[in-house]
This record gives sequence, C-alpha cells and structure tokens, in this order.
Amino acid sequence: MSPEWMGIIGIIVLLFVLFFLGMPVGFAMAVVGFCGFWYSVSFKAAIGMVGGDIWSNFSSYGLTVVPLYIFMGYLAFNAGMAERLYHAAYKWVGHWPGGLAIATIGADEMFAAICGSNTATAATMGAVALPQMKKYKYDPRLSAGTVATGGTLGVVMPPSVVLIIIGLQTGQSIAELFLAGILPAILLGFLFVVTILALCRAKPEFGPPGPKTTFKEKLKSLPGILEALAVFILVIGGLYTGVFTPTEAGAFGVLATFAVSIVGRKLKWKGVIDSLRDSLWISCMCFFLVTGATIFGRFLAVTRLPFAVADFAAQLPVSPYIILAVILLIYVIGGCVMDALGFLVVTIPIFFPLGVALGFDPVWYSIILTMVTTLGALTPPVGVNIYVVKALAPDVPLGDIFKSVSFFVIASVVAMIILTIFPDIALVLPRLLH
Amino acid sequence: MEVLERITKFLNHVLVGIAGVFLVAMVGLTCADILSRLLWVPILGSVELVALFGSVVTAFALGYTQFRRGHIRVDVLISLFPDRVKCVLNIINSLVCMGFFAIVAWRIAVWSTTLVRTGELTETLRIIYYPFSYAVALGCAVLSLVFLTDCLKSLISLKENEK
Repeated sequence: MSPEWMGIIGIIVLLFVLFFLGMPVGFAMAVVGFCGFWYSVSFKAAIGMVGGDIWSNFSSYGLTVVPLYIFMGYLAFNAGMAERLYHAAYKWVGHWPGGLAIATIGADEMFAAICGSNTATAATMGAVALPQMKKYKYDPRLSAGTVATGGTLGVVMPPSVVLIIIGLQTGQSIAELFLAGILPAILLGFLFVVTILALCRAKPEFGPPGPKTTFKEKLKSLPGILEALAVFILVIGGLYTGVFTPTEAGAFGVLATFAVSIVGRKLKWKGVIDSLRDSLWISCMCFFLVTGATIFGRFLAVTRLPFAVADFAAQLPVSPYIILAVILLIYVIGGCVMDALGFLVVTIPIFFPLGVALGFDPVWYSIILTMVTTLGALTPPVGVNIYVVKALAPDVPLGDIFKSVSFFVIASVVAMIILTIFPDIALVLPRLLH
Repeated sequence: MEVLERITKFLNHVLVGIAGVFLVAMVGLTCADILSRLLWVPILGSVELVALFGSVVTAFALGYTQFRRGHIRVDVLISLFPDRVKCVLNIINSLVCMGFFAIVAWRIAVWSTTLVRTGELTETLRIIYYPFSYAVALGCAVLSLVFLTDCLKSLISLKENEK
C-alpha cells in the first residue's frame, strides 16, 4: 500500500472514531496518529514520538499564551465588563431603529477585544440584551439572531483563541495574526449593523427605536467603554510596538483586567476562582487539540498525503479561488456536523499547505479560515451559540433563531468576499509591523 | 466503585487547585519579568520557568477537564443511538483512551527516570526539570484513571439495564 493511501485510511479511521465512538477530538487525533505512525514506522518510534510531542507541547513557551488570554477573557466576563459595555453602547445608539440590536453588536465588538470566547460573549450579552429588547418589543427573531451572531465577533477580533491555535499549528507569528484580525472584525461588525438597519427599514416593527438619552447620560456611560479600551490598547499596543511578546501581552492583560476590575470593585473572590477554573479546563482542551493535531500531523507527514494533495490541487486547471470556495464550503459543512474549532484543528494539516501551495498569503488565508470557522457556531445542528440563545430565550422557537441568523450569515459571506477582493484589509496592519 | 469515583474526584480537585496556583505564578512571573526588564534587567530564566509552569498547568487540568466533559467531542450521530449502544461505545472509547494515556504516562515516567539518572539540567537556570516531566506523567496517569472510572460506570449501568 502506498504511503498516501495509508494517510487516506488514517483520515477515514479518524472520522469513524470521532463520529461512531464519540472520542474527544484531541484524543482521537492522538490515538489514530499514534497507531498510524506505529503501522508506518515502528511501535518504538511511535511511542517515543507521542511521549516527546506531549512533553514538548505541554512545556512549550509559545503555548503558554493560551491559558493567559483565556484567563484574561474570563476575568473580564466575571467582572461584568460586557454588561457595562452594553449599557454604554445602548445609551449612544439605543434610540435608533434597531438601536438595541446595534448596541448589542457594538458591545460584542468591544468585548471581543478582551475576550476570545464566542460562547462567553453570547451568554453574557444574551443575559443583558435579550430582556431589554423584549421590553422595547423587538421581534424575538431579530434579538435572538443578533445575540447569537454577535458572539462570533470574538473569534475574529484579537485576542482570539482560534487565531492563537492557527498560529501555533502553522508556525506563524501570533502578533501578526492578531493585527490581521482587527480590520476584518470591524468590517464584519459593520456589515452586521448594516444587516440590522436593512431589516428594520424593511420591517420597522422588528426593532422599534428605544427611548432617547441626554448627552449627560451618554457621557456618564463612557467609563464602561474606557476600561475595556484601556486593556485592549495595553495588550495590542504592547504587541504592536514590540514591547511585549504574545505571552507577555497575555500576562499583562490578565494583570490589567484584574487591576481595572479590583479598582472598580467589580470582581469578587468567587469570580476570580471561577475564572481560574474555567480558564484551566478550556485551555487544557485547547492544548490537547493542538497536541493531538501535532501527533496526527506527524503521521500525515510520514504518509506525505498533505504534500500530495497540495501538489494535486496546485496543478488543477482551475482558478485557485474556485478551490478556495470548495475549501470554505467544506468548512461550512464540517462546522455543521462537528465543533468548528475541532474541525479546524483536524483539517489544518491538509488545508493549510494546500492554501499556501495555491499561492495565498498565509496570514490572509488564516483570517479567511477563522471567519468561516465562526459560521460553525451558527449553523444547525451543532451551532453552539444558537443553543446558548435558546437557553436564554426559551420562548423563541429554535427554527426561528436559525432563520434569523441566516441574514447575518449572508453578511459574513459578503465580508469574506470583500476580504478576498481586498486582501489588504487583513494585511495592512501586519505589514506596518515590519 | 464509589470509593474509586471519590478518589478520582479528590485527586482531580487537588491537581486542578495546584494547576491554578501555577497559572497565577505564570502571570506573576511574566509581569515581574516585564517590569524588571523595563526598569533594569530581565529576570534570568523566566521564559524557561514559565514554560515549565505551563506544563504543570495543562497536565494537572487534564483529568479535571475530562471529568467535566470539557474536551470537544462529536455527538451528532451518537445521540441518535439507543442507550445500550451508547453505553457499549462509551466502554470501548474509555478503554482505548485509558490504555493510550497509561502508555503515555509510563513512557514519560521512564524518560523522566532517565533524566534523574543523567542529571540533565535546563539551559539557562541550570535546574533539574524532571519534577515537571514527572508531573506530566502523573497528569496522564490521572486522566487514565478518569477513563477507568468512566468505563466501570458504563459497565455497571449496562448490567443494570440488562436486568
């Protein structure tokens, strides 16, 4: 049997283990990678490789960035920063048609700049914004769709766990990826706002204007934005100017978030403990995803399958953009059947070399993959954000939430098309770094 | 069975507590290094120590994460299966993972023993690092224990279903 066929069989076995045994994604990749390496090379080499990879990943300085950013996000979450951001955004734009929904997107965008978790963002914003929108008689389809979709901004806006994982898996600079994510996240947020305005123009009953606020009230709400802005500027500014490495920026972000929350007496001891506990299990899950992917990637490298696929695709007599469209479609379908982050980690060893072989800029390609990954949190049947919103708004039928989200999915697709036509939107900030 | 479950739970809570202390230490050490570097000179070996602390953070959270079903899994198809089939699949799954992590724990422990014998030290601080590699082996062993507990629980519920 040729090594490439071994790789294909390995992928089939992996899918079987994932779907029929229900083994966690990271463990499944490690076990199948180990068995494949054992079959292709030897047991001694396989066990040496697995032990070595687990130790080197766990003790890698580069990977220490993961728990730090997650810890920072959870401290901000437990200190109630998202609520204050929402109330500030609400004072400024709440009186527009669809203003409360726009305020939700605005607060999501700002909270995403400190917290990289889409479910944490959706859960917090949902708890704050859904009752408000219900109070002002917003159509539940608009409110539920906005909250579910707004949470996904956290994945594109740095610091993002998905960008960190892509950076670590592909050996790219995390600082560059973070900078590349800023403008696309703003573009995505802008298109979501346009979608809300268009929906409210077509059907004004979807989002009736909220009460007007005075200028004094608007000014009074600003500290809610300033604390998050200060942390973001410290972290991203430090990275941009080269004062911090990504790990240092993460640690400093934790300290800054903690300090801001303690000074404002917004963080309780229980909040710190909860943040620590949640950060530990989420970062452990991410670590093992990366470790499993490393082990599976070693097996694939022995089979030479990723290179064969990349060579084959590069020689196809079709435009690279058609192949890109097929890859993105695979991600959308994959995101429908399994967790989007898990699917990304499983497929990166194949699709990343493929994208590079097709001539795409690795940083731009990573941002496009990140954006398509966000759709996985919204598409049935495993759209995690949909279920978070459903739990918060049990009276809205699940079908209605999926339907309302589809408007925003169109906006996401438009954002990806714009980013493909104008790749500089993602590349201009990393270029300034040089 | 109850005793085993209690021991696993206790071990995981102790380990995750230690992991939390090491995570805070990572933050403290990195921030101290930044300040020290800006004001005077960097703290020698801080990068090395943060990386080693990171290994304890992850390894000691492995069992806890599995305990609270935190590792991402695909259950679209499995949720459609009858309970009995789910139970059997869970037993197979737990046995495979238990075996895998027992082998990994054994392999890293053997390697750590070699480090003790050869007296290998870190590059900058020249300190021993086998305590950290033993910690990773312990984390994997405890994860294996969590899978053993899961497997026994599924076996018991399978037998009860048959009755």
